[in-house]
Amino acid sequence: MADVSQLQPTQTNTNLPPTLPPGARRSVIVEFIVRYGMLVAIALLMVFFSTQNERFLEINNLFLIARAASILTIVAIGVTLSVTVDGFDVSVGAVTGLSVLLSTSLMVIWNVDWGVAILITLGAGLIVGLINAFFIIKLRIPDLLATLGMLYLAQGFQLMLTQGEAVFRGMYNPWSPERVQTTGEITVAFKQIGQGFVGATGEFNGIPIPVILMLFIAISAHIFLQYTRWGRMFYAVGGNREAARLSGIPVNRVRMFAYMLSALLATIAGIVLASRIGTGAIRSGDPYLLDAVAATFFGFAVLGARRPNVFGTVIGALFVGILLNGLTQMDVQWFFQDFIKGFVLIASLAMSFFLVKRNQGG
Amino acid sequence: MHRSSPHAKVVRRQLNITPIIYRYQGNLLQSTLQAVGLGKRFPGVVALDDVTITLQPGHVLALVGANGAGKSTLIKILTGYYDHYDGTIEIDGRHVALHDPSAARRAGIQAVYQEVDTVLIPYLTVSENLLLGQYAHALVSWRALHAQAQAELARVGLQLDGHRRVEDLVLHEKQMLVIARAVSQDVRYLIFDEPTTSLSLHEVERLFDIIRTLKAQGVGIVYISHRLMEVAAIADDIMVLRNGRKVAHFPVADFDVGRISEAMLGTAITNVYPPKREQAPGEVILKVEHLTRARKLHGVSFLARQGEIVGVAGLVGAGKTELLRALFGADPVDHGKIYLDGKMVKITSPQRAVTHGIFLIPEERRAQGVLVDEKMRKNISLPFLGQFTWAFDLLHRRREDIHATATVEMLAVTPNDPEVEVRNLSGGNQQKVVIGKWLAGNARVMLFDEATQGIDVKAKQDVYRIVRDLAQKAAVIYASSDIDEVIGVADRIIVMHDGRIVAELDSAQFDRNLILEYATGSRTPMIQTVEDTKHAEKN
Repeated sequence: MADVSQLQPTQTNTNLPPTLPPGARRSVIVEFIVRYGMLVAIALLMVFFSTQNERFLEINNLFLIARAASILTIVAIGVTLSVTVDGFDVSVGAVTGLSVLLSTSLMVIWNVDWGVAILITLGAGLIVGLINAFFIIKLRIPDLLATLGMLYLAQGFQLMLTQGEAVFRGMYNPWSPERVQTTGEITVAFKQIGQGFVGATGEFNGIPIPVILMLFIAISAHIFLQYTRWGRMFYAVGGNREAARLSGIPVNRVRMFAYMLSALLATIAGIVLASRIGTGAIRSGDPYLLDAVAATFFGFAVLGARRPNVFGTVIGALFVGILLNGLTQMDVQWFFQDFIKGFVLIASLAMSFFLVKRNQGG
Repeated sequence: MHRSSPHAKVVRRQLNITPIIYRYQGNLLQSTLQAVGLGKRFPGVVALDDVTITLQPGHVLALVGANGAGKSTLIKILTGYYDHYDGTIEIDGRHVALHDPSAARRAGIQAVYQEVDTVLIPYLTVSENLLLGQYAHALVSWRALHAQAQAELARVGLQLDGHRRVEDLVLHEKQMLVIARAVSQDVRYLIFDEPTTSLSLHEVERLFDIIRTLKAQGVGIVYISHRLMEVAAIADDIMVLRNGRKVAHFPVADFDVGRISEAMLGTAITNVYPPKREQAPGEVILKVEHLTRARKLHGVSFLARQGEIVGVAGLVGAGKTELLRALFGADPVDHGKIYLDGKMVKITSPQRAVTHGIFLIPEERRAQGVLVDEKMRKNISLPFLGQFTWAFDLLHRRREDIHATATVEMLAVTPNDPEVEVRNLSGGNQQKVVIGKWLAGNARVMLFDEATQGIDVKAKQDVYRIVRDLAQKAAVIYASSDIDEVIGVADRIIVMHDGRIVAELDSAQFDRNLILEYATGSRTPMIQTVEDTKHAEKN
């Protein structure tokens, strides 16, 4: 017999306002920590860093931090979408790296126009998502294992593309028997995506283009998940796949869509990254996987959501970005940084899960 | 005591286990649990208020009450779920504090819940589960372990292969295993919480045999059930709770359904079931021909008309759920045809079924019917989200609000605020949400599968009324293992046995025993399916 049902207020006491089930009546302090803890933590972090470095809070520096975090944020939004449908896509880092190599090598080795190179890369990303969906939905491989397999496939394909070489202007063509020098280049227009600014005035450097792109994606994804029919179906499938299926929701199409979006966003992040560094560095996407997963789960703690949500993920990604930027500026050595990140992740997850659970215990 | 059988003793000596029961053995037969003034309040809610309860060895106390009456709270106190509660509990005049589960266990109090799966480990064997946490050796002697397990199983008269994995057991076997485990841990008071919900009649009888065995061994039993006839069959005393208070307590000799219902609800219920159909049924809406699924359904054919409720009777496992799921496209079928309003339709998925106006209220409400962590509003709008959108699939929140509010009002859900999360609702109200989510659609066929399982009389009455209302414009198929309920609700009954329809009865022919005979297969089927006839011709 359902236990919670026994506590239902209207059954036992009809005078109670019905909007307040017992679990909702927590102590005010705990309620505040659960809802705003992450935001307060970010604010404190920024105050702390600004005491350490007076230029930390300058607008140009803040935008640089945002730019540094924008690629991670885009990848993390993709992970969030897959987690929303109760899936998990661990291939995103490798797909980001594949996108870096594919877009740059198309331009440098095969002399493809930068616009076309972007389109081909995006198409490749969608195909990767489709293959992930095929593995998971049709072949019924558990999502973690299927995307782990894809992680290796994408990584391997990335290396095979150039026979393991990084892509840069004037490199030797690995595919020609005579190893002739390539003539293609990563154009200035392409580099603008990752390096450009918009609206510079005097002292102000302008808003970095990656930040604009990230905000556009974040807002679109937020609207998609919170305010559209499809977003509702994403949460329904993630909440209870069987109940969603028995409500007539096209569960498999929803899941396929989620994996395609996840791969597409990783691909976009890869294009931004390629443009930012201006070369095709090997395996440059790998670090984004863990940070993106961390950002997604940080997001659970924001505003007490306890479920994947885009706003929380963006805050989580910015949090990671601010933390790393601040630590770097404070000259905290790089080998401390992962440890600090792990500590902060556990603290924020404890905040959202432990406190809430305790207060619902009754 | 059974426990002192020479064999068990030998096993015990070999295993060098000192069973705690020996310490209790002297007073086992006269230990009485007396709880005085038990109470539990949550912020704003009094879940249990000043309840005094006495559990005697070898005595079955039945606890009845509507959802939210405080039964579960009482059990949770006795099993040490809460770290504080009001009142005092004494065993043999000695005060005991039941502030955590292990304290309750030490006091010999255990409960067998309806959801047995949560307390068993599926990939371990019967023997391992049985002796979980009791096996005192660092190295496992499998032979000794199984021998001890068999001895424990024998104590409750249970025959079960100790080598089988728990995940391969059927529900009632798991339940028996949980009981055997409780007994092996020196249980003195055993609480059964809705134990028979998913059991067949035969299995219920076996459960009762075990309860009688335990009774004879001096175990004090608390038996909780919504099924009053079971209570009458097994209890010595009946206690009725309402709104957290004890409202009646009398010996089973004074058993009276009307009196109990009145005490449970505070008002007299004259007739639970809604009136039967008044007019002749309308057009045929649903026609099913030879629906077949390997080992589950065998050539099922029947009709359903507008304005009538077709009851599907049958024991647990007769194929009722399989039939409804096949009609809804939830499970694939091997062959067979489904006609809707005269046209053949292919129902290959629930999605297709929904577009055709075939809606299912599934058997397992929480696992299949609702999204428990979502608000009522989001559950209610889910199947027909397209109706609540404007451009670009953006949700039209106001339209959704209006629909959710209207649905909640119409179905008399309490609380009537669609922003309440479903997990905070009682079972009956959750079921109303499951029904409510289909109301935005144009229903042609409504399929109800065990729709009133585990909900109280008042909510049942509401559900029956809703079912009758829905039958005005659609065909309703109402499946239930409770024969009395099917008789009460349906206009026509089809009886299933072993994946076949074995009888079809008009309301004039409704008879409990007749249906039972068909359902148990003890009467020659009235209807021969094509498959059977072919088979008969061959012989």
